[in-house]
Amino acid sequence: MRIFSILVSAMLLSSGHTFAQFLNKLKQKAEQKAERALDEKLGLGQEQNNSTGNNQNTGGNSGATGGSSTRYGKSNPSNNVGGGLVSSPPDVGQNLLDAEAAYKKGTFGDARYSVQQAILGVELEIGNQLLKSLPDVIAGLKKDETQDEVSSNGYGWAGLTIMRKYRDDKDKQLTFTIANNAVWMASINAYMSMGGMAQQTNGQQNWKQIKYKGNKAIIEYSESSGYKLSVPIGQSSLLVFEGVNFKNEPDFMKAANEIDPDSIKKQLGEQ
Amino acid sequence: MKKAFVTIGLFFAVATGFSQEFDKRLTSARTAYASKDFSNARFAMTQMLGILDEAIAKEILKLLPTKLGAMDYKPKEDQLTGGSTGYAGGLFVNRFFGNDPKTASIEIVNNSPFITSINAFLNMPMIGMGDSDQKSVKVQGYKGILRKQVGTDDNKLNFELQIPFNNTLLTLKVNDTTENEITQFANAIPLLKLANVAQ
Repeated sequence: MRIFSILVSAMLLSSGHTFAQFLNKLKQKAEQKAERALDEKLGLGQEQNNSTGNNQNTGGNSGATGGSSTRYGKSNPSNNVGGGLVSSPPDVGQNLLDAEAAYKKGTFGDARYSVQQAILGVELEIGNQLLKSLPDVIAGLKKDETQDEVSSNGYGWAGLTIMRKYRDDKDKQLTFTIANNAVWMASINAYMSMGGMAQQTNGQQNWKQIKYKGNKAIIEYSESSGYKLSVPIGQSSLLVFEGVNFKNEPDFMKAANEIDPDSIKKQLGEQ
Repeated sequence: MKKAFVTIGLFFAVATGFSQEFDKRLTSARTAYASKDFSNARFAMTQMLGILDEAIAKEILKLLPTKLGAMDYKPKEDQLTGGSTGYAGGLFVNRFFGNDPKTASIEIVNNSPFITSINAFLNMPMIGMGDSDQKSVKVQGYKGILRKQVGTDDNKLNFELQIPFNNTLLTLKVNDTTENEITQFANAIPLLKLANVAQ
């Protein structure tokens, strides 16, 4: 029981949010099962399977869930319309004003909240600026703007992520992610400096250290997910290229070389 | 009398310096943002967060008890770190009490990205089932986990109580103690006030 507890806690600490979502799903399943059992006992209505798929779309489109569930003869409607949420990035200037006022009053918790909101606002602007500077087409693959993502957790030093996907009409795709995360960088840089582990051959080499435009990088390949190039830049940023259905390594690297890492470094304030 | 004036003077000097630092960073942030230098604006705001975390940590320390039972706190060992240099990005406060073999500590972690994981863990109902060394408890209305450990060298009982509230995790550890005693010590900590300061 103790080993189970330790394993579970390690899993949670490495993926708290994912596990919270998993718990929610588990709870939903349990509730559905209980309702079904009660309906059968009371001889009420008919249950249809409830699907709970989520659409995460930064374009602000509505998300629809399919199906319905029956409870005591009544059915719950499923959502089919809606304009999503109004995009409202935090007002940096107003939040700085609020932070100043809260600080003068001595309510440091409120001041902290306002500064975090201001950081969120600035990071979203940095992210959008970076996205605008990226090419529209890479290796014949067009950008898919509906999948553009900028996310920030307002801590300033960790958790700014910018992502863009490029794809064709078939099944070739390049995902380019810029991650600004000081916590990850410590482990990645330690990994990079382990020269003895850089070139291991077990028949098939699945990863190796290379140089990407003067930066140390790691390239990996797997049959199921394709190519992946990770390039630490500066002190706290990481570029990640993920290529699906590229015919070979040179083909993938040609696509990756269309990005200018120095410009990205400059925009992130990295040296 | 002279000593009192010097102490008061020093206090105001520190408090004013603190405020000046915050104002300086705020001005840098505003100037950088206005000139669309977003990375420097962000940097200045991150420094503001650090100053605020330090201020919050000092407020938290003022609320903590200076005595747990017969154990006095050790003022020179009070620890606080905050902001981008702090515990995984949040703030961290630690106070120690007593001397070997009877010691205690209060640790507070606030606004850390890991709090969510710890909260999820503490809310799992199956955890602790069948484990006689830990159980859920309530202190001042807040749920917590109480764990019992037996010292390997001396076979004495040590207890650890963890209570999450809002974005904060409080950990109270006491060596050579009983469940009743650690619960009494926990009740000496003003959890509601801490929650309000640390939110």
